[in-house]
Amino acid sequence: MKITQFAIAAGLAAGLLAGTALAQEKTLTMIVIEGGDTTAMQAVVDAYKAEHPDVAINLQPYPFAQFFQVAELRLRSAETGIDLVYVDAPLLASYASRGFLSPIDAAIDTSALVPAALDAGRYEGTQFALPINNSAQVLYFNKALFEAAGITPPAGLTEGETASQVEVDTLASSERWTWEQVAEAARALTVFEGGRTTTYGFTVEQFGELYQLQPFGESLGSPVIGPDGYTAAGYLDSEAWTKGATFWGNLYNEWAVSPKSLGYGEAASLFGNGQLAMFAGGTWNLPILSATDVDFGVAPYPYFEGGSVVTPTGSWYVGVNAASANQAEAMAFASYLTTSDAGTKVWFDSLQQLPTYTPLLDTISTSADYDAFPQNVFRLGVYDSLNTAKARPVTAAYGQLQDAFRTAFVDIANGVPVADALASAVQKFEAAASRVAQ
Amino acid sequence: MSRSRTPVLLIAALLAPALIGLVVFRLYPVGLAISDSLFNMVRGQQIFVGLDNYLSLLTDRTFWKSMQVTLWFNLLINPIQIALALGLALLYVQNFKGVTLYRVLFLIPIGVSLPTAVIIWRIMLTQDGLVNGLVGIAGVPAQPWLTSESLALYSIIAIATWKGISYWMIFIIGGLQTIAPEIYDAARIDGVKSWQRLIFITIPLLRPTLLFVLVADVTINFLLFAPIFMLTQGGPADSTNVLMYEAYKSGFIFGDMGRAMAIIVVVVAILLVIVGLQFKLLSNREARS
Amino acid sequence: MSTHAATPKKALSLGLKHLVYLVIAFIFVLPLWWAIVSSLRPNSAIFADIFPFTPKALLPTPPTFEAYAGVFERGFGQIIANTMLVALVTMVAGLVVNGAAGFAFAMFDFKGKKIVLSAIIISFMLPFEAIALPLYTVTQQLGWLDNIAALIVPSVANGLAVFLFYQFFSQVPKDYAEAARLDGVSWLNILMRIYVPLSLPTCISAALLLFIFQWEAFLWPLLAMPSQQFKVIQVGMAAFQQQYQTIWNQLFAVSVITALIPIALLMPLQRYYVQGLAGAGIKG
Repeated sequence: MKITQFAIAAGLAAGLLAGTALAQEKTLTMIVIEGGDTTAMQAVVDAYKAEHPDVAINLQPYPFAQFFQVAELRLRSAETGIDLVYVDAPLLASYASRGFLSPIDAAIDTSALVPAALDAGRYEGTQFALPINNSAQVLYFNKALFEAAGITPPAGLTEGETASQVEVDTLASSERWTWEQVAEAARALTVFEGGRTTTYGFTVEQFGELYQLQPFGESLGSPVIGPDGYTAAGYLDSEAWTKGATFWGNLYNEWAVSPKSLGYGEAASLFGNGQLAMFAGGTWNLPILSATDVDFGVAPYPYFEGGSVVTPTGSWYVGVNAASANQAEAMAFASYLTTSDAGTKVWFDSLQQLPTYTPLLDTISTSADYDAFPQNVFRLGVYDSLNTAKARPVTAAYGQLQDAFRTAFVDIANGVPVADALASAVQKFEAAASRVAQ
Repeated sequence: MSRSRTPVLLIAALLAPALIGLVVFRLYPVGLAISDSLFNMVRGQQIFVGLDNYLSLLTDRTFWKSMQVTLWFNLLINPIQIALALGLALLYVQNFKGVTLYRVLFLIPIGVSLPTAVIIWRIMLTQDGLVNGLVGIAGVPAQPWLTSESLALYSIIAIATWKGISYWMIFIIGGLQTIAPEIYDAARIDGVKSWQRLIFITIPLLRPTLLFVLVADVTINFLLFAPIFMLTQGGPADSTNVLMYEAYKSGFIFGDMGRAMAIIVVVVAILLVIVGLQFKLLSNREARS
Repeated sequence: MSTHAATPKKALSLGLKHLVYLVIAFIFVLPLWWAIVSSLRPNSAIFADIFPFTPKALLPTPPTFEAYAGVFERGFGQIIANTMLVALVTMVAGLVVNGAAGFAFAMFDFKGKKIVLSAIIISFMLPFEAIALPLYTVTQQLGWLDNIAALIVPSVANGLAVFLFYQFFSQVPKDYAEAARLDGVSWLNILMRIYVPLSLPTCISAALLLFIFQWEAFLWPLLAMPSQQFKVIQVGMAAFQQQYQTIWNQLFAVSVITALIPIALLMPLQRYYVQGLAGAGIKG
């Protein structure tokens, strides 16, 4: 039906092209995440096509929840049908170690990319993927709820006020709240009525996820795993992580200020309904929250008192499938997407995610377009990505680490003792990781 | 030759389409998948390791804990689902004024796909959700349905049962059709009580259908992991970590296909033993006459 | 006196009966009811009365059909039609193919029958995730990727359906067939004239099995149709759960529509499987 129509249309188009165009057309295929990412990628593809009429790029979008599974299956089948791969930062090592990706062409000039982001695309010294954009986490707070509870909200960016990069830098470097302050405010903001919580004080957007919680231990001085990528004992069960995890457990149990087991996107829904006073989440929530009538502010991502400031980072990368028959063309597009003025701008304009391309970061810092709220939140992202961002550990056993970590933190939120949960996570991670480390 | 006792050509023609389809699209892939359990991927290279993946399961604590969870889960869910599906089928075929409306409502879970059912139930079962709101009306304090070690597995059983019993009910109704009404009439005249009719007439005569439902339901439940993946990810404290989920994690999240396939082969072997027993117990065909 | 006593007793038992049915129906309906109500709310108001729960969560206030409009703007009409096509073709072809195989197993004894039957049982015991990759490779070699044949053909032969038909056909006394054979009736006629009419309830069960299998298919359509030009329901629904947000009201709207379609198809068939069953149950 639709397929036949499509085939006929494609056939006609091909016939017309053969009649008019001289150059032989190459078709590249790229797997991407369905939704905004696909829309943005299509915009970049269209811009690229205008400059390179001899290359066509087909996007194959997959739903977010299934993307990793489908990508894994298709890459493992070593089919030539995929040229370009959308790669989540922490999966890079797993893909690279199994030979799914080609090393990035050394001729591509990567000097304009944020060094930390570039590093996360490297495995055992070889660059396997280029960063498309970055991510930044901030603390959202509901101004009305703070006012009603008679508490002073954190210093932050709010509606109706402008902020220069210098002012944002000051905010981020000297007025950042600590987790202790967050907890104290959250306890005062939580409303418990008739046996149920009607307003929650605080939550994190990604419940139990390593991406969001890595700073809990890192801020107190311990990485999640050792430098070999396969050892967790002495790291995840260290004093620093025990303290961070105890704080996390208290949010759900002793203080009961956070809702248990929120799904993706539900923190923003609760916050938008005025049922949640604060949440730590990505800058991608800005357009969603701006569409609601909640009066909110944005503060820097907190840290532990006496600890260092560490913030989550890392996002999507582009890589070239090792089995692709169009290596040169695929590299050329990857380079356009990540290291050209034109390509990075089209991407940023469409998706509004924190860039990794430094000329674009400079634009955000200096252009008057980013003076007003909420656009000036990007300046907070610029500060964090250059000063406090800490990439996730690079290990071929990242999937194992993420799973063991999530299990431990979800269990802790559900009341399992911290020491037991962390010990179990260390044991599980090391057992599973030893199978890929051999 | 058309009168030969076994019409070979006819048998071949009847069987060929199904057999070709099953061999090409099921059994051949199954063979390839099983052979994966004999390999490990090391630095991008497939290395033949023989039975190593099976041997390492023997000392794998996570695997044995998961085995316990799987067996307990199946020991509960299968009898519950089949008993409730049978009960529901008997209610469905009753005839009285207004039953048609109930019949429509009984079919509802069939159309709700499992992922959708899980999404809806997850929201209904949260700490401040609808179910706790309803039990709150009855004065019961809010329960951590999906977040406590003692309740999570049972909540998953309840959700899967909600989703499954209408479906199995249809098969049982189909089986009830094959029982001649005269048998019941005769029994009624002889003054046999209704529960006796159920145990001594309905269930024995339903045996072929029940065997089918039992085998199909046990298979589906042994392989079930989508609700666990979506709701608890094996937690809290591994209390819902069934073997299939453990295998899924190994294969798709950890990139460790060797271990994943070894676990799956063990699951299927257990399943075959159980199904073999069910055949032994339920399919002695002499009992029919 | 006894007749007087019987009437209130009867009324009581009828009332009790309705109570039992109502409770069961309530449990079945509640999640879908909540989905219906949620589908009639704007997306921002989905959680308004649910965290924490208030009875208002069960009433659409005020109802809006924007989710349903949005769903059809996304092309869900086409997606539902696609899925119907795939499911119905699979169902019809599957009834013929699996019914024929089940008949052959039940009717004839031949060498190796036990082994073949065991292979058929094993064929539905492996989780789809385990065979997804080899199946993908087979489909690719056949050149079927992005062709609806890839969705339909691998699902037509179904071990469970063969088993279901086999179970039913082996119950039918063989005297029927033998008598007909003596009268010179061909096997095909025996199958069509005697066995098919007898097996209508089983056919409905098998049809349901084949239909629902495709109705709920997800991972395979995602893999087999890489260009995503031809979408089925579960794949289309996955798009509502995005990386950074979920479009709840549309998700529920599609859930409601897709839940009602199989029921609408089943209801008219009801008379085939509740005929003559008035006294079959436990009724006294």
